[in-house]
Amino acid sequence: MIAAARADQACLHCSLPVPAGRLSQFCCAGCEAVYGAIAAHGLDQFYALRDAAAPAHTTEQTYTELDDPAFHRLHVHTGPDGQARASLYLEDLRCGGCVWLVESAPRWIAGVSAVRVDLGRSRVDVTWNPAATSLAAIARGLDRIGHSPHPYRGLERDALRRREDRALLIKLGIAGAASGNLMLLAIALYAGMFGGMSRADTGLFRWASMCVAVPALGVAATPFFRTALGALRAGRLHLDLPLSIGILAGLVWGTANVIRGVGEIYFDSLAMLVFLLLVARWVVLRHQRRASTAAELLLTLTPRRAHRIEGARELDVPVEAIVPGDLVRVLAGEVVPVDGDVTAGRSTFDVGLLTGESAPFDVAPGTRAHAGTVNLAAAVEIRATAVGEATRVGKLIASIEASSAKAPIERLVDRVAGRFVAVVSAAAVVTLLAWSVRSVAAGAEHAMALLIVTCPCALALATPLAVTVALGRAARRGILIKGADALERLATPGTLFVDKTGTLTAGKLAVVGWRGDIDAAGMASAAEAGSSHPIARALREHAAPSGLAHEVREELGRGISAIVVGHHVLVGAPAWVRQRSRSQPVIEGWIAELAERGETPIAIASDGVMIAVAGLADPIRPDAASALHALERVGWTVHLLSGDDARVVQRVGAALGVPRGQCHGSVSPEDKIAAVVDARKRGAVVMVGDGVNDAGAMAAASAGIAVSGAAEIAIEAADVYLRSPSISDVAVTATGAQDTLATIRRNLRFSLAYNLIAGALAVTGMIHPLIAAAAMPLSSLTVLVSSQRSKAFRS
Amino acid sequence: MTILYLVLPLALVFAAAAVAAFAWAVRSGQLDDVDTPPRRILFEDEEVITRHRRGEPT
Repeated sequence: MIAAARADQACLHCSLPVPAGRLSQFCCAGCEAVYGAIAAHGLDQFYALRDAAAPAHTTEQTYTELDDPAFHRLHVHTGPDGQARASLYLEDLRCGGCVWLVESAPRWIAGVSAVRVDLGRSRVDVTWNPAATSLAAIARGLDRIGHSPHPYRGLERDALRRREDRALLIKLGIAGAASGNLMLLAIALYAGMFGGMSRADTGLFRWASMCVAVPALGVAATPFFRTALGALRAGRLHLDLPLSIGILAGLVWGTANVIRGVGEIYFDSLAMLVFLLLVARWVVLRHQRRASTAAELLLTLTPRRAHRIEGARELDVPVEAIVPGDLVRVLAGEVVPVDGDVTAGRSTFDVGLLTGESAPFDVAPGTRAHAGTVNLAAAVEIRATAVGEATRVGKLIASIEASSAKAPIERLVDRVAGRFVAVVSAAAVVTLLAWSVRSVAAGAEHAMALLIVTCPCALALATPLAVTVALGRAARRGILIKGADALERLATPGTLFVDKTGTLTAGKLAVVGWRGDIDAAGMASAAEAGSSHPIARALREHAAPSGLAHEVREELGRGISAIVVGHHVLVGAPAWVRQRSRSQPVIEGWIAELAERGETPIAIASDGVMIAVAGLADPIRPDAASALHALERVGWTVHLLSGDDARVVQRVGAALGVPRGQCHGSVSPEDKIAAVVDARKRGAVVMVGDGVNDAGAMAAASAGIAVSGAAEIAIEAADVYLRSPSISDVAVTATGAQDTLATIRRNLRFSLAYNLIAGALAVTGMIHPLIAAAAMPLSSLTVLVSSQRSKAFRS
Repeated sequence: MTILYLVLPLALVFAAAAVAAFAWAVRSGQLDDVDTPPRRILFEDEEVITRHRRGEPT
């Protein structure tokens, strides 16, 4: 029944067009395997339930590390019923169809008792019978249907957050119910005010209002009281202080008036205020949670697995199970899990994330390898000398974690609130004294009214609303901002340090210059066809091979020799090629010229004569120059700060128009931190980077930005994570932060204007509770509209 | 309007009961995940699927 695909045929699994000529109804082998697995288990209903189709991929891993005792100790809990439980992070959970498919696992994996999916967190809780199946078998099953599992590492943090979220939600419910019921009571009172109501009935409604308001707000407003008290003790100003004063004044004075039977009560306005504030807090919290969950899931993706060699066999174990002295195999493309000495195999390592150097690093038996570097070429065996925190990267991470607690910044709104408290308290005292000339009771009445009606609800909403809009829009553009503070830190321009590798440049070698015979490119490409060295890859990408290569001999770290269409071709480091062929002065001139520009020269010789030189370098991203100019236009001074060779950094700086004095090369992680600390004395500092060597500087800066592909610790140290590797999103983030702050300022002006009018009415004794009740939501609405109209991060 | 003295406290008791029910729902974790359950409700029971596959009326 399987025939060659028609041009218009869609893949049965992912609905993408099937490439012409494929002998199946699937676009790729991955989709075919997943479809087969789903159909074999009788789970075809998936295709009716899902609402988003996407290509599937399976990893075909064995997942044996999930059955290691070290992993079980950390991540698996066994209940009193003998059932084991673990949480996993699943890739590609998208829609109801995925949820159904994964939750039906007990039907087709014997021994699994239950699977529960949390779609928002991409997390599944699996319960199984350890006697009947193993976690690795379950993981293989999930992998086969297209959802690769990873150990979920945030359980404790999740539990903490859940407690916080639940507490806030309950307070929100209480405040909402109280404000609704108080409004009903207030409507009766206002109606009675105009239509006439017996004194006894009025009293009943007032007492009822008090019975609702005092306990409800006493509970719901505790977060504000607590922060206000904390700020007072620390001698700092905080917006919650004027809020707390207003709420407390309203509760105390309202209660006094109910007991006295005269005077105004403001319970309905107060409840509405507390409810609105809690809603704002809840919304901001949800947005922040979503951004940090997304960033944390990226961390979960990094493998924590190592291949341990035990005699003749090799076993996948969690990294935690490796001890010094163990022999581990690191395959091409994998991250080195331990510090150690290479005992067998030759390869090339990318050490960029650790040191910032862009040139590949060749290893052979006896070379020291460090955890966190990436094996590019071929499998090697490493005898572990240090593991975990004792590794070089581990020590670096420990020192960053110790110093990364950022001092809280004085937020704009807190500064405003500080002045606000002073002005309102002074006004209240003046009102009290001025009216006391006539009667002390009137003085107290008006002073209290002032404190209550100026309770800055809109002021408190000004920041959260603007920030929420910004965080939401930024997340849709692939910019994950971890908190509201980060936006304010990014809004004031100062010094911007950019790490070169991966941010301004592509992060991998490419041919950027060519001198001599153009046809030599095809010969070099042919000679390098079988090598996985990064230089070989760059030469292959540069030109199509001019033929097949024979008698290929590779000397790792030096060069390659081969016969290509009858010519004896040598490709490699100039010194190595020079020994085996005849050079010319013009060739030597090219080599010097390319090296001077910071490129790696690669010589090509044909039949014993050097004929061409290729210049290899990490190419600059096409959008880097315009992004740096955009940053400079909005006030940032851009510096390059890289661990790479100084000449290379100068070359990149010159190409991007960064002055020589602002390009710093060969900078160690410690020097990066020192540079950031020094620059902070002069103002705001933002560090943009991707490596372990940048993480310390990110933590020390006022704000850190990690770009796509960044090392784990860099993502953790950063305040902002960019899903795309492009530097232009840094400019978008910076301008977006400025626009957000502009919106916050506009919101603050609106709310202060309202408070000024209400305050003036209260001082002159012209305030009516109905005005207060109407003006409060009205001012909040103004701020809401103003925030929605913000141009921050608008696409 | 003496009836007010009965229904008003009664109404407030109802409101308090609603708040208590909400607090219970939150504490028992019913609002922790608001993305998955609305989809889960659409899944058919296993029994129905089996019968459907056998061609029996559901």
